[in-house]
Amino acid sequence: MDRDTRFKLLIGAAISLMLVAVVFMFYTFDPGDMPLFPKCPFLLVTGYECPGCGSQRAVHDLLHLDLKGAFSQNALILFLIPYILLGIYLGFFNGKHHFPRLEKLFFGKWAAIIVVSGIIIYGVLRNVV
Amino acid sequence: MNRYFYIDSEGKQKGTFSPEELKSENIKKDTLVWTQGMNEWMRASDVAELDIIFAESTGYYPPQPAAQSAAQPAFSSAQPAGYGAPQQQPMPKSWLIESILATVLPFLLCSSIFSLLGIIGIVHASKVESLYIRGDYAGSLEASSQAGKWTKIAMWIGIAWVVLWIVVVVLIIAFGVSMANIGDILNGSGYEI
Repeated sequence: MDRDTRFKLLIGAAISLMLVAVVFMFYTFDPGDMPLFPKCPFLLVTGYECPGCGSQRAVHDLLHLDLKGAFSQNALILFLIPYILLGIYLGFFNGKHHFPRLEKLFFGKWAAIIVVSGIIIYGVLRNVV
Repeated sequence: MNRYFYIDSEGKQKGTFSPEELKSENIKKDTLVWTQGMNEWMRASDVAELDIIFAESTGYYPPQPAAQSAAQPAFSSAQPAGYGAPQQQPMPKSWLIESILATVLPFLLCSSIFSLLGIIGIVHASKVESLYIRGDYAGSLEASSQAGKWTKIAMWIGIAWVVLWIVVVVLIIAFGVSMANIGDILNGSGYEI
């Protein structure tokens, strides 16, 4: 087993363990009225909402199948979650060997630029509008 | 036994050779070599498998013109197209997926500042393929290792952040502080989460 594979396995184990814990917490507690969930340092410091603000409430709503609620909390996350899942499948579960064109399309250089600028634009718009 | 590429005194990439075959090439201790599994080009003398080349008598190599031996291979971007990656050399890991994930994931965890690390990763990762296609294999490798470095930093910080958070939650529950009190303390600023 080379270094890269070991690194991936280690990361994978840690992430899945934490994922279980985090999903459980997001399902059981509502971040909206529980103080246990981490605050956004960006919001605390600047007073502006970052592109991620509301994502925890959105995840809570999503886990309760409340799409509308999730959309109003953080619309960006609705698009990012499927995107993240696709990325994890492509990058860590051999997906890129089965679907190399999907990888090029969604995780190429231009896709990266579009995603990053999309996040920034969303972050600006939600504070302006 | 691995097969090696090396960069000759004029900056051209040559390969592949087995360590045996490298003996008859003009390899010096500071010649840069690369084989599958290496993260970057290494000095030949730093590669254990190549020790056999230098184990022979030191006077083995024909003398070099001073100008030539002084010329370090300029392999960063100066390599003309065509000299670069031979076809059998696979593209270095681009790290694009990983670095994009490292940029996007922090938004889910209210740690959006860490996305900056992921973005640095993306910047390096996006160079890997274009340098590779242009034939600058060494440059491509360098971009790949930089992208990997920043992505890994971002990943470890992200993991540490979640672990810290879980620990804090467990501690709070363990100490049985009443929810109302915590609410007063943490929501004192008036912000929602």
